Amino acid sequence: MQYGFYFDHKRCVKCHACEIACKTWNEVEIGPRWREVVKITSGTFPNVTAMNVSMACMHCGDAPCRNACPVNAISKRTEDGIVLVDQNKCIGCGFCTWACPFNAPQLSAMAGKMEKCNFCQTPGKERPLGMPRACEEICPTGAIRSGSMTELASSGRERAAERLAAQGLPGLILDAQQRFGVAGGD
Amino acid sequence: MTSGTPDLGSQLAKIKGAKVIKSFCYTCPWQCPTEVFVRDGKVVYHKGNPESPNNIGSRCAKGMASWYVTQDPDRLKFPLLRTNAKGGPGQFKRVSWDEAFAFIADKLKHIKDKWGPEAVAFTCHHDPNSHFYWHLLRDLYGSPNMYTHTSGCEQDRRAACLTLFGHVFPMHDFANSRYVMLWGMNMLGANQGLWESRALMEAKNKGCKLVVVDPNFTETAQKADEWVPIQPGTDGAMALAMCRVIIDDNLYDSDFVNKYCEGFAGFRDHVRDKGYTPQWAEPICGIPAATITRLAREFASTKPAMSAIFKGSGYYTNGADAGRACYILDAITGELDKPGNLHLKDWAPLAPAVNIPEDAKGKATKPPLHIAMGYPLAPDLPNARLPNAVINADPYPVKALFVQSTNPVMSDPNRDAVQEMFKQLELAVTCEIYMSETALESDIVLPETSFYEHAEIRQGMWLGPEVVLCQPAVAPPGEAKPAYEIVKGIAQKMGWGQYFPYEKWEDWGELMMKDIPMSLAELKQKGFWAGPIRYHRVPEGLATPSTKVEIYSKAYADAGFDPYPVYRERSVKPDAQYPLQVTHSKFSMHCNIVTQNNPYLMEICGENWVEINTLDAQKYGIQDDSYVVVESPKDQIKIKAKVVEGLVPGCVSIRHGHGFGHWAMGTHAKGKGAHSNNLMDSYTNPITGANCYNECKVRVRPA
Repeated sequence: MQYGFYFDHKRCVKCHACEIACKTWNEVEIGPRWREVVKITSGTFPNVTAMNVSMACMHCGDAPCRNACPVNAISKRTEDGIVLVDQNKCIGCGFCTWACPFNAPQLSAMAGKMEKCNFCQTPGKERPLGMPRACEEICPTGAIRSGSMTELASSGRERAAERLAAQGLPGLILDAQQRFGVAGGD
Repeated sequence: MTSGTPDLGSQLAKIKGAKVIKSFCYTCPWQCPTEVFVRDGKVVYHKGNPESPNNIGSRCAKGMASWYVTQDPDRLKFPLLRTNAKGGPGQFKRVSWDEAFAFIADKLKHIKDKWGPEAVAFTCHHDPNSHFYWHLLRDLYGSPNMYTHTSGCEQDRRAACLTLFGHVFPMHDFANSRYVMLWGMNMLGANQGLWESRALMEAKNKGCKLVVVDPNFTETAQKADEWVPIQPGTDGAMALAMCRVIIDDNLYDSDFVNKYCEGFAGFRDHVRDKGYTPQWAEPICGIPAATITRLAREFASTKPAMSAIFKGSGYYTNGADAGRACYILDAITGELDKPGNLHLKDWAPLAPAVNIPEDAKGKATKPPLHIAMGYPLAPDLPNARLPNAVINADPYPVKALFVQSTNPVMSDPNRDAVQEMFKQLELAVTCEIYMSETALESDIVLPETSFYEHAEIRQGMWLGPEVVLCQPAVAPPGEAKPAYEIVKGIAQKMGWGQYFPYEKWEDWGELMMKDIPMSLAELKQKGFWAGPIRYHRVPEGLATPSTKVEIYSKAYADAGFDPYPVYRERSVKPDAQYPLQVTHSKFSMHCNIVTQNNPYLMEICGENWVEINTLDAQKYGIQDDSYVVVESPKDQIKIKAKVVEGLVPGCVSIRHGHGFGHWAMGTHAKGKGAHSNNLMDSYTNPITGANCYNECKVRVRPA
């Protein structure tokens, strides 16, 4: 089974609450940012658009950070696919930060070790799967969800169907109403 | 299991080995109900109260990071008395509470004997436990001058809503809306009433159209279906032109305006006589007439709809009428207090915490300052006029100022004048949790507790009537005291101790809850009380003099103002020397002046900046992320620049200009970013008394 995050950029308002909730729950010091909200702006005045993305470790299927680690400090749990770092093994070389396409691994200046989102599995503060992650729990607009990839794929489809229904696309309204009880457009 | 699951908190608390205390967050005035996790006398986590309709288990960044105040070494711990002369940064010595109370009581007695009780004024942010100070200074001492922060905030909105609808603070029923038009209101980025954010996003998901009228491409504009990049200070012109279209096209609700509005026919003639057409508005607003016409038709023909303002349409000397015009759109389309409209919220029937007998009450000899200053319609003190009152005894001598939980030296326009005012005051008392810039100018500084360390019962900021409770979760630092103990201490020295008979907070808590259908014990368990949302109150009659929506405002006419909104140009316009118009916008991860000593928030945003459109940046040689000098006729600041597309050319947007550039407060805040409030003069809205921060022109060059 693979667990992960579902992120709905249309809902994210870039309030940064997820970052602080992550830090507070997992007691992360100032410096490393396990989660970070970034804004991507495009277009020219007055036709401007912007998208917010809350970024953290994606707990990749074939995690490049794990493959890059020279001391096997990074592992992927078989039962849930969560990618974890063994701080006792980490030598702080930073290879993982180069390998990761999302800049998820963060080197702690204080400890000289790599750390990153551990899906709220910080020793002593583990949140059981099935509970919302700290970032998810706090989000005012419900932009972040966590769960198994199967659950997330279906919730993603649900959101897409809701939106299409609201836009009044006939076939989908019917489908969405039947499946999810969602009110259609006009 | 979701964030709204009721027992999530207790399960999480078990993991953290912590006890849960139901409370609320007072980082900003939206006071979301919370669950505070306490272990070994320390806050180890906190989350939103999942049962509260206010925030449905969620928090914002600033609220989430707020636990840091309980551990911040920069907190004030002891009463401090000034030892050097006024006019420079204060030097202080630690005194006992007894000495502090005696010092204040002696000064208060002296000032009352010599100048009368109205020579003492009180100001606070959004009245955190301030009612205790009011019982002392207003009821017993007799000063009519108890004020809050509103003139630096949504004063124009308040004035518009009071005169039109008889309601001081309508809420937004976004969840049921199909068309939302926000004017200068960055709901998603700045205000963070979390249920409102969620409701707006949910409504949008269900097909509600969101239109944001704002010179800045704010976080809310980002989510809008349509961003209307209006010229600053011209919202009133566009709203009036929209009204004209709705009237000329017969799209108004004739039944509603006939039954429930005062002066619709006069307003119809007024917009026609004045020539308020989309063609007239186009060159003023920088918005095509066709767009204005289309938006007016869309707004009037989509129901339920809502047109709402916050601060942005204010901050100009023409903001009062702009606000009324934006809300008249709701009135003439009959879109008021039905599901999906602006909502005339019921307030919870909270009783006073302290009851002062009539015969003990002090009597003022002069009217309140805002009346004496000539602002009869101001819902709150015109802050920008206070320095003049103190320095020139105009309209009458003001000798003492109590400041609680606000920082006028940083938050009010024209810092020079505010600092000069503090120099002239005979007594400046600041009740604070940090050595703020205002504390630094004061005679005596009293360390207050934070909302994690004291109790408070207050109105909740949700659609329905609501009471929220915060209760002490951890011990305060040093000798910090809650407001209710500070007031009791001063009262005892004044000989009024018997009027504050409570021994513990529950004593006054019981009194406040006496008319609420929930006991204090239950409130302590639950954290809030919420009553039912009531809609359709317009037919029952409003709290205006006529009990109707007053499109024709008799109050305006009586005060010598136009009874119908007119459009006038703002006072300060850019010119050849100072070619750029100042606007302001906020950050979502900071609240006003209160969060800049929080390292968790400073990590996300550790300095503020000025935004400038690419075209202007090219013209003035400004590089993205470089430092620039922003210069007005009055002062200049050095600040980081961000070159953006999302801003009307010809403007700059100073982000969080009165929250950064601290020169006191604490280690994390000091010296970060730039304070912009000395760029502008003391412009005040002539009707509402609002501070006009945007009445300012500047030029920009590389630093």
